[in-house]
Amino acid sequence: MAATVLGISALYHDAAAALVTDGEIVAAAQEERFTRKKHDPRLPRNAIRYCLEQAFIEPSDLAAVVFYDNPLLTLDRALKSLLSVAPRGEEQWSEAAWSTLGVKLFVANEIRNILKADVPLIFSRHHLSHAASAFYPSPFERAAILTMDGVGEWSTTSIGQGEGTEIKLHKEINYPHSLGLLYSAFTYFCGFKVNSGEYKLMGLAPYGTPKYADLIREKLIHFKPDGSYRLDTSYLGYLDGNVMTNNRFHDLFGGSPRKLESRITRREMDLAASIQKVTEEGVLGLARHTRQLTGMRDLVLAGGVALNCVANGLLLREKIFDRIWIQPAAGDAGGALGAALLVSHRRFGAKRKISANGRDGQKASYLGPSYSSAEVRAFLDRRGYPYEVVSDRQERAQRIAASLAKGRIVGYFSGRMEFGPRALGARSILGDPRNPETQATMNLKIKYRESFRPFAPSVLAERASDYFELRQESPYMLLVAPVRKERQLPFNLAEHLDFGDDDMLSVVRQPRSDVPAITHVDYSARIQTVHPDDAPQYHGVLEAFEKLTGCGVIVNTSFNVRGEPIVCSPEDAYRCFMRTEMDLLVLEDCILLKANQPPMKDDTDWRSEHALD
Amino acid sequence: MHRQVFQYHPTIGYHFIPGLRARIEAEDGGYLVRVNETGFRCEHEFVRQKSPGKFRALLFGDSMTAGEMVSNKDRYSDQLERLLPSLEVYNFGLPGTGTDQQYLIYRDIGAQFEHDLLLIGVFVENIRRVVARYRPAADRDGREWIQPKPYFTLRSDGELELHQVPVPKDPIAPDQLAEAEQEHVDTYGKFPRVRRAIHALGMRELAQRLTKYQPLPNYESASDPSWILLKAILTQWIQTAKVPVVVCPIPMDQYIEQTSSPEGYQARFRELEPLPRTIVHDPLPDFWKFPVEERRRFRFKHDRHLTPGGHRVLAESLSKVIAPLMHQAERIS
Repeated sequence: MAATVLGISALYHDAAAALVTDGEIVAAAQEERFTRKKHDPRLPRNAIRYCLEQAFIEPSDLAAVVFYDNPLLTLDRALKSLLSVAPRGEEQWSEAAWSTLGVKLFVANEIRNILKADVPLIFSRHHLSHAASAFYPSPFERAAILTMDGVGEWSTTSIGQGEGTEIKLHKEINYPHSLGLLYSAFTYFCGFKVNSGEYKLMGLAPYGTPKYADLIREKLIHFKPDGSYRLDTSYLGYLDGNVMTNNRFHDLFGGSPRKLESRITRREMDLAASIQKVTEEGVLGLARHTRQLTGMRDLVLAGGVALNCVANGLLLREKIFDRIWIQPAAGDAGGALGAALLVSHRRFGAKRKISANGRDGQKASYLGPSYSSAEVRAFLDRRGYPYEVVSDRQERAQRIAASLAKGRIVGYFSGRMEFGPRALGARSILGDPRNPETQATMNLKIKYRESFRPFAPSVLAERASDYFELRQESPYMLLVAPVRKERQLPFNLAEHLDFGDDDMLSVVRQPRSDVPAITHVDYSARIQTVHPDDAPQYHGVLEAFEKLTGCGVIVNTSFNVRGEPIVCSPEDAYRCFMRTEMDLLVLEDCILLKANQPPMKDDTDWRSEHALD
Repeated sequence: MHRQVFQYHPTIGYHFIPGLRARIEAEDGGYLVRVNETGFRCEHEFVRQKSPGKFRALLFGDSMTAGEMVSNKDRYSDQLERLLPSLEVYNFGLPGTGTDQQYLIYRDIGAQFEHDLLLIGVFVENIRRVVARYRPAADRDGREWIQPKPYFTLRSDGELELHQVPVPKDPIAPDQLAEAEQEHVDTYGKFPRVRRAIHALGMRELAQRLTKYQPLPNYESASDPSWILLKAILTQWIQTAKVPVVVCPIPMDQYIEQTSSPEGYQARFRELEPLPRTIVHDPLPDFWKFPVEERRRFRFKHDRHLTPGGHRVLAESLSKVIAPLMHQAERIS
């Protein structure tokens, strides 16, 4: 009989559930998508329900439930860390006492309360779960494993290897020495939210120069020849306070942290560039040591730091490893998947199936719920929203392509929702990358977010090398690579940086290539290669766009507004469509035009629904 | 719940979204709902012609029959199939409906499928629903609405007349419903506010025992207009059918747990026995075979729908009346 394992991650940030049957991933989703609360850390009641729904099983059919880390070890770390700084750390203690003692220790009871079934409950280890999430779904029979995040239990970085169904972790770097927490400290200092603003900091980095990199290396982080590192925690606040940085840190970098939502200055740009550079050095150092230690030719990555796609792209270009594969849900959400895979393979003896065609086992990360055409129509009919059914897939793709080519912005909802933080063409907002206005329009009128933030391209996998200098597929938008030289246009960032301007708009509006909307100020792009086997419908849209315009690339950003989780259901999608200046909404085989929709009633203060991230 | 479960239907009001697969959260964790392509919660895809060697029953009812709170496999329809392996039950149960809507489902959808038996599971509370023109509903955000439904009235010549078809699509805000129509909203019985308060205090059973609460007084008299209408609907339905009919009054928990007397409804349903090819099967005595404490476990702690155990009792009870019909059909064939 098939052994089905439910994996759960929760109670820190990005709670999620995942279901694995005999080593095959059946379902995975983040709780935030259902509760509509970004990074929702609560036990993932809704995601669990969805996983059982997708597998169509009862909780009593589960062979085991596995929690992605060990709350006792987290408690151990919290207590010992606080003792090390006592009598300081009172604030830290009160917070840790609540989150650890208050909830995590009772996690077993809480999970049983949700399931109402007596299923064996197993606790994994945080970095082992990350490692499993990276190795098992990868297309590699054997690979080196590198996990890096803020902290999980004691560990912040681990190095290991996987072969067949076996995973061994050889080395760990322990708290408080953490590349992830150091990056988060700068995220905080630059005025972005920790655990969500890291991505913004990475996007800001190309605007600056790494003038503080030496200072960071000198004062904050010391790299050793074996790739390991130590932090000088006397500059950091997380050990004995409730914020990431302290006055020593502030003195080092010229004053107080930037206030949330205030103007971004040259200092923040340079700090972003500096910490990005240092982080890249750290990742490369660890990768080199991992190669040396394991002798493996391929590498898999997970942990929050593995979402740093700029560092990932550099790692690929440095050719330390032949190939790399990164878990698309690299953060804690992916821990649920890794934990379930680990138990499925190691406890229940599931065999790994490596695809002969080189595709991975992540199923393009389309692991969330889907909604049938009947469900979509039932929703639209019930609400009386006008729509047109375009059942023919090719015709639908042509209609979407034609709209994009006219400069319209399209909300695209198709198939199973993505697992992980990136929208990959199932819950995406699409635009024309050739239009120099697209980036500003999408940032300001669609996403309602900072104008400096770049957009990512989806490109036909078979045409990727025509546009980008990328030597392997990037199906999960986790690799950054340069736009090909011949496509680049002359552009001098320094000339265009105008601090009197509102939010760097003048820079954003300068074309930097023949696909300006997805070309960042350093000519880089965060690429999603779209393979027809992974996403036939989305691939069809790209093909139709290419046929119409000669361009095999479209802008793809997540279907949400700032602070909102990516949409999950047709209702979420419709609401987001109506609240923004999108022109067209595609809900499976139904096409809705904004111009035909009735105005939303009683929805004037919707912006207060989502706290800015 | 991230999914919408029902879609609009112009005659019935709504039915399940075809092809839906969902897990719905409930007090004991949740339950699995699988809907076939016709839009009913049934493990079978409906096909016109009977399968060889199978005895096919078409089953109609409300949430008790559709299996609210339990997975498809735990419902009495599905348990019946396990008890009687050559029985095939097409479950047309639809939550929230009255016997009037269930008859319309038979008339407009069910009757086209070949069958050997018509099985009508009348949750006895349906007597209130057949006289209602609207039922309360709540949306995903918990907002209360009034949902129009189709309904029959009896003409002076004794014929049934159908109203409110096509059923208005849009739900009505409670304060927007015309005053003259307010009395036609099914409020689940009298004194809704008092009832809600007693429920909130967890004193439902005590209050019912002390007051000798009779939840369905409309059954007390053969001349009650609600019963006359329900009887007329059932009579027309039975007369339309060309196969044996089993009418099964499904008791409310007050009757199962004997906090209220069932004599009224039992007497009324016996009035249907003279109808041709009709068996009225009362499953209540089979529930009463169990001690009271065990009977309490036939419904959920906070919800009155049948548990899998309650469905089992109902299935076993019905099997006693269906098995002979199957043997009879087998002998004839």
